[in-house]
Amino acid sequence: MKLAELIQTSREYLSERLPLKHLDFQHMVEKKEVPVHRLSWGYYTGGLALFFFLVQVVTGLLLLFYYQPTVSDAHASVEYITDHVTGGALIRNLHAWTSSAMILAVLVHLLMTFAMKAFARPRELTWLSGVALLGITFAFGFTGYLLPWHQIAVNATKIGMQTIEALGDFLPGSMSEWPRLIRETIQGEASVGQATLSRFYALHVIVLPFSIAAMLGLHLLGIQLHGMSPGIDEEPRKQERFFPVFLIKDLSVWGVAFMVLFVLALCLPFEALYAYPLFAPFDPKSSTPEGIKPEWYFYFVYYPLEILPFWLVMLGQAVAGAVLLVTPWIFRGTSRKSLRLLAWGAAGYLLAMTLFGEQIYHLFKGGTL
Amino acid sequence: MKHPFRYRWGIFLTLLLWTSTMRLRAYPEFREFIVKHSQKPVNCAFCHQHSDGPEGMAAGQIGALNADQLQRLARARSAFEPGQAVDSPVLNPFGNSIIQRVGKKKFLELRLHPSELAPLLDPASDLDQDGIPDVKEYLEGTHPVNPNDGNPRMLFWVNLKRNLLPLAMTFSATVAGLFGLFHLLRGFDRAARLSITKEITTE
Amino acid sequence: MMPVPFIDQFLFVGLPYLAIVTFVVGCVWRWSTNRFSYSSLSSQFLEHRQLYWGSVSWHIGILLVLAGHLVALIFPGLWSGLMSVKAVLLTVETVGAALGCVSLAGLVTLLYRRITSNRLQAVTTPLDILVVALLIGQVLLGVTTAILFPYGAYWAPGTVSPYLWGLLTLQPDATCVAFFPAVFKLHLVGAWLLVLLFPLTRLVHIVLLPWQYFFRPPQQVVWYAPRQGKQAHALSQQLETRRDFAKGVAGISVAGGLLSLGVFENLVRYFQGHRPDPKVETDLLEKKMVRLKQAAETRELELERQRNEIILVAKYAELQANKGKYLTDYSMAPALAFKGPDGWPLVISAKCTHLGCTVGSEMNGQGKILCPCHISYFDVKTGQPDAGAPAKAPLRHLEWVLIDAQGKEIARKSSGLPATNNPALLAQCSVYIVKPKETR
Repeated sequence: MKLAELIQTSREYLSERLPLKHLDFQHMVEKKEVPVHRLSWGYYTGGLALFFFLVQVVTGLLLLFYYQPTVSDAHASVEYITDHVTGGALIRNLHAWTSSAMILAVLVHLLMTFAMKAFARPRELTWLSGVALLGITFAFGFTGYLLPWHQIAVNATKIGMQTIEALGDFLPGSMSEWPRLIRETIQGEASVGQATLSRFYALHVIVLPFSIAAMLGLHLLGIQLHGMSPGIDEEPRKQERFFPVFLIKDLSVWGVAFMVLFVLALCLPFEALYAYPLFAPFDPKSSTPEGIKPEWYFYFVYYPLEILPFWLVMLGQAVAGAVLLVTPWIFRGTSRKSLRLLAWGAAGYLLAMTLFGEQIYHLFKGGTL
Repeated sequence: MKHPFRYRWGIFLTLLLWTSTMRLRAYPEFREFIVKHSQKPVNCAFCHQHSDGPEGMAAGQIGALNADQLQRLARARSAFEPGQAVDSPVLNPFGNSIIQRVGKKKFLELRLHPSELAPLLDPASDLDQDGIPDVKEYLEGTHPVNPNDGNPRMLFWVNLKRNLLPLAMTFSATVAGLFGLFHLLRGFDRAARLSITKEITTE
Repeated sequence: MMPVPFIDQFLFVGLPYLAIVTFVVGCVWRWSTNRFSYSSLSSQFLEHRQLYWGSVSWHIGILLVLAGHLVALIFPGLWSGLMSVKAVLLTVETVGAALGCVSLAGLVTLLYRRITSNRLQAVTTPLDILVVALLIGQVLLGVTTAILFPYGAYWAPGTVSPYLWGLLTLQPDATCVAFFPAVFKLHLVGAWLLVLLFPLTRLVHIVLLPWQYFFRPPQQVVWYAPRQGKQAHALSQQLETRRDFAKGVAGISVAGGLLSLGVFENLVRYFQGHRPDPKVETDLLEKKMVRLKQAAETRELELERQRNEIILVAKYAELQANKGKYLTDYSMAPALAFKGPDGWPLVISAKCTHLGCTVGSEMNGQGKILCPCHISYFDVKTGQPDAGAPAKAPLRHLEWVLIDAQGKEIARKSSGLPATNNPALLAQCSVYIVKPKETR
């Protein structure tokens, strides 16, 4: 292929994926319509995730005024926020609950867009930016988890980081050293300590927010330029206007979500769901408390890791990640019906591992603890 | 320089321990009972200052006490009868309240029947003010002096009752705000369409 | 307690019951005999300009003020809770007084209109004038009370509300209100007089609450013709738009008001930071000090490991056979020191080879220690994990050296140990760990 042709093709490709000629008020607001059908609730999940992200930005900024990212002070400053700052407990609890809510919303959104085949041409770039957003969201969860520097935070992070190193056993020759080097590069030192805390803090507060903002911009631009995907194969019952009808409904969903979060944050400390020793400040010299586990949204890797051989799980993860990345191309011709089945399967797996992971673990390992 | 110093402390402490009438140690029977009864992992910080119990060199353990604290410790250890004010530096407020309520003698007897401690405790006492009495927290394995730890369902209802007013305010603010926003959006939409029809009719 | 004078008994117990009885009987009687006289006797056709300004400001003002009174008297607990927030109290007081003034201005306009308009004179009865005069007096007294005795929103629920509930539950108690200032007493008497007059006057229109006005679209009567129809449609759309904007602004301002009441004060305090009392401050500083010391200790340990070739673990006599003593090894990882079965010390890494948790120090009956994270048992003597445990690699044994009180080296793990040892000699020794060779 000649260079000119190549340029021409990529120009065409990009202009179809990012139809900037639609970048005006008329297309993005006035004329935009949303189909109404039995799956249209899926259109609200993305907006919900966006709302949770906004809550996280606000509460995170507020926490930033008091949090101190040092090994000696981190836990004390978090305690100070909870016990002494006016409204601090509420803000912190809101941040904790919303982080879980955001991950949940993102996962449901992922499954819904998959089931509705919203990744199909010309929306491939929107899907890819969505996959990036998923990764960034999980990275937010992982880095933010360490910051309070309590027992479960540090020990669970240690375990998570150790998983990277364990990959080394499956790599040949000098490559087997690489995972350790990668781990130590992320950690900044041989074991999880001050350097790790500083790095995770920088990631959580500066790097990830900027990356998510950039990706979110691309994602939302794609959605507004292309409009909503049809979602089902049949003709929709009707179309409703994006402005103001859909927007009003979307905002009501945000209002309900806010009330639920607010009630939870005010009435149920996130910590109450765990045993208290896990929230004591991390003490490198005392024994590791029992019940160290990652957050619930990592159960879908954690429990398989406990049950199955390590390499199998890692292989599965790698395949799943790769499939997510190339979904728009491999499922190009798949019918929405099969996609829905696949999405149900994935949802079933995630639900089973998250809700019944412990029971499944005992089933496989036999006997009680 | 540090070690000889610690070393001497060690000798001093060992002597202290041996000469005291009762050998000081944690009472893991209670911890074991809580873990078994509540199915929750619980450590010594349930009653002690330090999560690994009273023995050791860390803050809140015997090795780190100063002279005044050692005196308080000795006083607490001789509180055999109930009702004496107890302020042991190795115990947390819950630990102190137990000794104060039942007395050291009875407490030592209870080691063989840790479940019988519960009815002896003050049923109304709620050290962390989280709305769940200490006795209940003892049986459920949630921390009696941590207001953020407790049976989630009970905590939720207690806090809900306490926060009804701000919740009602927030609820009305949300409803009013959404109501206003909807009508503003609708108003904008109507105004926009009105101007379009006007343009058409004037043409 | 001072006895309540007769006049007060009459005004605050006798009059209220008289008023209530008249109210109920009068309303029922009027409803059953002349239902259609339940009306405000509108005079909009006779004069509408002054009526617009007077009626709208009077009704908006009095409705909101009355709503405040009602909530405070019926739900005193809720109301006092709200008023305990200072910002709320100040806002309610200010808004209440302002609304009182607005309604007063409206009433005065309405009275002026009644008196000056020729056409209205014809439909005005003396009772109408009496009602307006009473209302003006009542509002004036209310506003005066609000100015002379401020924070009524705070004190009234505790005093007036019990009085009212006493009346309603037939346990009247005038003492609650008998010792109030005269202005406020007159305000109460005025209220009962208005209740008394209610069934006799045009006040009865209050019971015909026109709720549907809030929800139905504005009506526009038009002639049926295509051109006018289009115009009328545009007009109605314009009106609808106006209503939408008005509702929008109202909703947003209510939300904004509530939010500023609840959030603003707390937000300021959030950034202002905490001003703890001395006891809390001391505890806080102490806690921070402890944490700092812990951090300093860790640094000290690191430094010690950089500098020294051997590091003290414990005196040999302190070692136990079935409970390990925690120590920090040269890589800053935890390790455990036992008294081995052969009598020599045994120092073993306590960092689980599975995922790096700290292994427990209690040895079980089979001479094994447990990593609690994923349940791996390790044999202390060999370091090997149980078959099938998550951990595959053994725990390392660390190099140690025994040094007696004079600083003489007695034994070293790597240099081969005699099978027997001298307990008396060992009792004087201390156990040290040795810096690993490759890091040297």
